[in-house]
Amino acid sequence: MNSIIDDIRKTARQLLTEGKVDVVIGYEKGSLPLKATPCFVRSPQDVDKLIWDQTCENNLAAFVAKTLGKKAIIAKGCDSRALMVLIQENQVVRDDLYIIGVSCQGVIDQRKIEAETGEIIGASITDEKISVQGMECDKEYSFTDVKDVTCQTCRYPNPVLEDVHIGGSIEVPEQATLFADVIDMENKSDNERKAYFKEQMSKCIRCYACRNVCPLCYCQECFVDCNSPKWLTGGVDSAENLLFQTGRALHLAGRCVECGACSRACPQGVDIRALSRKVNKDVKEMYNHESGLTEEVKPALNVYSTDDPEAFLVKE
Amino acid sequence: MGECQVNTETKGFQPKIVAFLCNWCSYAGADLAGVGRFQYPATIRTIRVPCSGRINPLYILKAMANGADGVLISGCHPGDCHYMSGNYVARRKFALIDSLLKHVGLEEGRVSFSWVSAAEGVRFAEVVKGVTERVTALGPNNGVFKVEDGGGTNE
Amino acid sequence: MKISKEKFGQAFDALVAEYQIIAPVITDGDVNYKAVKSFSEVKQNYLNSKLPPKSFLFPQHEKLLSYKKEGKDVTVKNELKVEKTILFGIRPCDAKSMLLLDKVFKNDEYRDPYYYERRDNSIIIGIACNKIAPTCFCSSMGISPASSKGSDIFLVDLGNSYHVEIITEKGKALTAGLQELAELTAEEQALVNTIKSAETPSKVDVSTITAKLDKMFDHPYWDTLHEKCLSCNACSFSCPTCHCFDISEEVHKNEGSRVRTWDGCMAPLFTLHGSGHNPRDKKKARWRQRMLHKFNYFVHNNGDIACVGCGRCIKSCPVNMDIRQAIDGVNKAELVVD
Repeated sequence: MNSIIDDIRKTARQLLTEGKVDVVIGYEKGSLPLKATPCFVRSPQDVDKLIWDQTCENNLAAFVAKTLGKKAIIAKGCDSRALMVLIQENQVVRDDLYIIGVSCQGVIDQRKIEAETGEIIGASITDEKISVQGMECDKEYSFTDVKDVTCQTCRYPNPVLEDVHIGGSIEVPEQATLFADVIDMENKSDNERKAYFKEQMSKCIRCYACRNVCPLCYCQECFVDCNSPKWLTGGVDSAENLLFQTGRALHLAGRCVECGACSRACPQGVDIRALSRKVNKDVKEMYNHESGLTEEVKPALNVYSTDDPEAFLVKE
Repeated sequence: MGECQVNTETKGFQPKIVAFLCNWCSYAGADLAGVGRFQYPATIRTIRVPCSGRINPLYILKAMANGADGVLISGCHPGDCHYMSGNYVARRKFALIDSLLKHVGLEEGRVSFSWVSAAEGVRFAEVVKGVTERVTALGPNNGVFKVEDGGGTNE
Repeated sequence: MKISKEKFGQAFDALVAEYQIIAPVITDGDVNYKAVKSFSEVKQNYLNSKLPPKSFLFPQHEKLLSYKKEGKDVTVKNELKVEKTILFGIRPCDAKSMLLLDKVFKNDEYRDPYYYERRDNSIIIGIACNKIAPTCFCSSMGISPASSKGSDIFLVDLGNSYHVEIITEKGKALTAGLQELAELTAEEQALVNTIKSAETPSKVDVSTITAKLDKMFDHPYWDTLHEKCLSCNACSFSCPTCHCFDISEEVHKNEGSRVRTWDGCMAPLFTLHGSGHNPRDKKKARWRQRMLHKFNYFVHNNGDIACVGCGRCIKSCPVNMDIRQAIDGVNKAELVVD
């Protein structure tokens, strides 16, 4: 880990000193234990703020379109996929980006830890061990125990698009079944799924943190803000919330890169990934497509084939 | 063609089905059914769109939120789209919408998709009859997207 | 005076018949305020709720009135429904926040009936904090983890019993029937004293912030503060003192209703005018507004800082924007002298 941080800082310092970029978008230590926060470094003296570890959970691609000038960005596997989709959709000019690729082992799920230790007072990470002092109790974890659920089944930890690579690569073990979590959900009865989503949606307070943290939600006017036609009334009952989440998941069809930032951002702990995971499984099975892997393969809903499956038709 | 008997009267429940029909094929097919006096249940409320590719998934969700008991979307047969590829793009969308709606617990049969050409008046009547039967059997919309109070709940 | 939790529970359960009782309940690992039917449902030993209890005075989505047009006649119906309510287990930060909301909704110039009817029909039973989280900083906001400001009755949890203090006439009326009060032992009194003298380890200095902000509208500090903000409303919706709202009409054919919903100044479209002009379409302007409103405008208009140090905004922010760091930044900012 340490040499990666040194190399990141060295690269950032060089880029800024040589004037190759105006800003380096990376992570610095947050104000809470086990939390990193995005940071924008503009002068070579400040590069020592940059860190890299398993707390770097934000998808920094969300910031590129709005940051002016030439920018360098620290990109994990999922972040680089998001950048790829943004480039394909003409939201970002490739030449304005200098992508510092770092292979990612995954990020920590603080909620999982806090469920056991209570609010975290202090923590430290050494190699693969995380020691936590919490309000309820202290505990030591191995990283694999508290890895974020998205990262547990991640198949693209190595950046797919980068200008320089820091550190080594990560080998991805073969997964026996892809989308096992979605298959579990599909195997439940209709009523069980309906009840599950109703319960999850009743927690949503429509703060739109999920939408805003997503690098691919960049519409100037989101459908939730539209007044004519008025899709959402502003009520927060679970039916309206489900309309919002389902609408968003469908707008991300063929584009979502499964970084998991939405679920991590939710202040209420709603299982937001559940819907996008299902759509991504369908896109993979029906159209053999995964977003943001190569520039040549266009997003799934921008193209079509004459023999796409049509199992959904009425039987008449 | 004879009459289409559906048991809506005996059950006492007349579903309200919103039908999005593409202008060039399905809407013309529905018109042909009318001209040819092919009877079908008076349960659909037609909304004409230029192409099935125009369908925004939010139309379906909002129709359900406003209390529609069922939704039918119908377009040209693949290969026959007036705008060449509109229905090909729509086909991918519809497949994903259908799958996701089932996943969140919406009953199978509430939202239906079909390809009906301008010459298929008889078939259009059959499609509507089938959709009406299935939606009637499911009962009124009290499902996942229906907003309880039409906007204004204090939960 | 103290009462055993058992006896308290019995009195609590008896009140359920007459009052709607809102208390902290744990579901899925998160504590939130919900209506309860019995003391056994109440969560003990919690830090604070995920969402503040303000929604029981100022709901996230409420129908103000409904109307119906039949021919030439229009009937309008007031949709305010109020129940006698007890808000139980309110922390000192949340109790103080209600006093701040009062300044907005229930003052000499303006009385919002939808707020004050609920407020006047609510009794607040506050409880001191035995544990203090690292994100709490109420001691810097004019209160303390054991402040009874804003509570009608104030409790301190002693383990098997509660130490009870009557603060207001409203509280006195509610406890009139309570007979089983006992004296505290010396040990218990010592515990109460310790809890009452506790301070939050996390502190900020707001002694000069209002005056400083008076001079900082055009300061370059705002240029970088906002950069990582996502413009969601996670902070505004978790804040016990944030009170901005939107009013809209929900109309279907001949009937409809006027509804009020929470809105937040962090959202880009919050200040969008009908003309299309948006004075705060830049994130910089919105973050400056947040700081100025809480620490300057509210002080000038209402005499108090609109923050109670509960720390919910810090915990809920997806990018870890920390208002304590923003306050420090303002304090450290060098004023540019022309």
